[in-house]
Amino acid sequence: MLKCGMTGGQVKVFGKAIQTLSRVSDDLWLDPSEKACSEVCEFLSFNIWLYSVLVFVFSTISMVTLSHDEFKLQIGNKGIKRTHNVYFQDSQPLKILFEKSVCANILMIKPRLLSEAIALLTSNQEEITFSVTPGSFCLKSSNGESLDLSSSVYSEMSFGPEEFDFFQVGLDTEVTFCFRELKGILTFSEVMHAPISIYFDFPGKPVVLSIDDMLLEANFILATLADQPSRVSSPQSLCFSQVQRRSDPTQSNAQVGKSQASQTPESISRAAPKRLFPKEPLDSSSATETKRVSTNQDNISEVPESVVSDMEEGPGLSCLRKFSCMFFGAVSSEQQEHAGHPLDSLATASDSEEDASG
Amino acid sequence: MRFRARITSKSVLELFIQVSGTVTKLAKVCVLRVCPDRLCFCPTGLPGEARLWGEVKRGVFHHFCMEGVSEEFNEIYLELMSEHLARAVKNAGSASSLKLQLTNKLRPCLTVVVELPSCPGHTRAMVHDLPVKVLPRRWWKECTEPRVWASDVSVYLPSLKTLKNMVERMANVGDRVLVEANLNGKMNLSVETDVVTIKSYFKNLGNPPKAVTGATQGEDPENMVQVRVDNRKLLLFFEGQQINPTVALCNILSNTLLHLVLVHDGVSLQYFIPAS
Repeated sequence: MLKCGMTGGQVKVFGKAIQTLSRVSDDLWLDPSEKACSEVCEFLSFNIWLYSVLVFVFSTISMVTLSHDEFKLQIGNKGIKRTHNVYFQDSQPLKILFEKSVCANILMIKPRLLSEAIALLTSNQEEITFSVTPGSFCLKSSNGESLDLSSSVYSEMSFGPEEFDFFQVGLDTEVTFCFRELKGILTFSEVMHAPISIYFDFPGKPVVLSIDDMLLEANFILATLADQPSRVSSPQSLCFSQVQRRSDPTQSNAQVGKSQASQTPESISRAAPKRLFPKEPLDSSSATETKRVSTNQDNISEVPESVVSDMEEGPGLSCLRKFSCMFFGAVSSEQQEHAGHPLDSLATASDSEEDASG
Repeated sequence: MRFRARITSKSVLELFIQVSGTVTKLAKVCVLRVCPDRLCFCPTGLPGEARLWGEVKRGVFHHFCMEGVSEEFNEIYLELMSEHLARAVKNAGSASSLKLQLTNKLRPCLTVVVELPSCPGHTRAMVHDLPVKVLPRRWWKECTEPRVWASDVSVYLPSLKTLKNMVERMANVGDRVLVEANLNGKMNLSVETDVVTIKSYFKNLGNPPKAVTGATQGEDPENMVQVRVDNRKLLLFFEGQQINPTVALCNILSNTLLHLVLVHDGVSLQYFIPAS
């Protein structure tokens, strides 16, 4: 049973967080714990439907009540109190084990710099690529697939290490993930006036975007496209490898054996040992730590693309079925005791297991 | 075929951005004609035979080198989406340089490199590969420079902002606007319906030197030369165009053509509207 009251400032953060997450998925998974109220949102999932309610009321929420039986939002404003009962379903806990501090590449930058750069890249992109070497960081847009004039423009923008608050590159690599989510996260980070930290390794392993602040800690884990042929960071080979990948997904994912599965986080644990630049700590950690537990555990590794697309919400989300999982943890003003493992064990749900139908 | 050009002057950069912006507002597709002495913008598919023609002279580029299709036909015609170019250069206002280069990256591209200042002492490069189609010679005739007939009258334009406001208001009243001018520096704009006529009078505009010498002997300089054009086409130009010209004039070929010319420092924009 969670009963949580929020002040104006906290409400603003809570609301912004919901807004950010709502850009990714229609469903939200809320898990209260003593120290923190965590919201996880996931695609192949559940029916807690906060979005439509919160769009209208988040600015004035003053009390949130969550228990087995009810999920209430109470708004108090100028002597009038309104209570909203929000439809929800109990679900199994989501356990995400991911140790971001062992990532080879860790960058910290003011989100505004990235947002500005992204605004300069052409806007109708589904995916974005981060490409790093010890001397530079490059943002790349995806390349057009068709060979006519209307295919999208390929754009890239380089940053030098001096533009980052922290720049550690242990691995020359390129990772590609969903553009739309990055935009949402950067907006959130700007609102919080906090720098954004980026943790990543090789393609296939998730990238973690992290925002750390007095009021909250947010970690967004985005899956990256796996198994791209090793690239030189020049547009020509980038174009070529992307064209190759799109026209023949099975070939590029040959290592994993399943073209669809390799695009889900589950495949990360299989792909990891075969990566081009294995590093000791990564090998040992990746197999276990990128495992994701959910009610669809049985199905995820087997999910063919056609089924996944059935479960997706609507147009424009074709990239999202390949990527998944965002995690957000909000902390109360009390001291946080979990040192370095904010992603660990979350509240246990009830015994009843709901069927997660899309 | 080779083409490489670079702009480092801030004002030229600004103009280039403005011309690209204008082109994209008027047409979806544009042919860039690379000539030995200039770069031309030839947007295609403007409504109703109106034509826009933009030029950037070689002299304003910091660096300009090209090698055409052949020695005899020393030009390159590149077809691209206007919006791609406009977007690529849109934020280059604060750039230290803008580079254009014809490249071949899996397919022909016009690569635009914008160098932006980042932290003090450093620059950041933004690279865009715009897909282009290199037009074969047989299609070149679609993009010839519009012929400028000797006009009957030529007059300097009043403030473009004022003109735009006038045309906007007149567009609410009627479909066609009458543009007339004479050799005494006068110009009138009017729109007429069954119920109302609205007319604006501009005077003391001045006439470009050419027009004076072209005048037929004995012709009354007070004589107004007219052309009636589609209001929307005129409005499209005024709304779309962005440059702040040092010279702005219009040529009228009686009852045939309205020709607007805007010039700033080696960059020019011409708009041709046939009578309707």
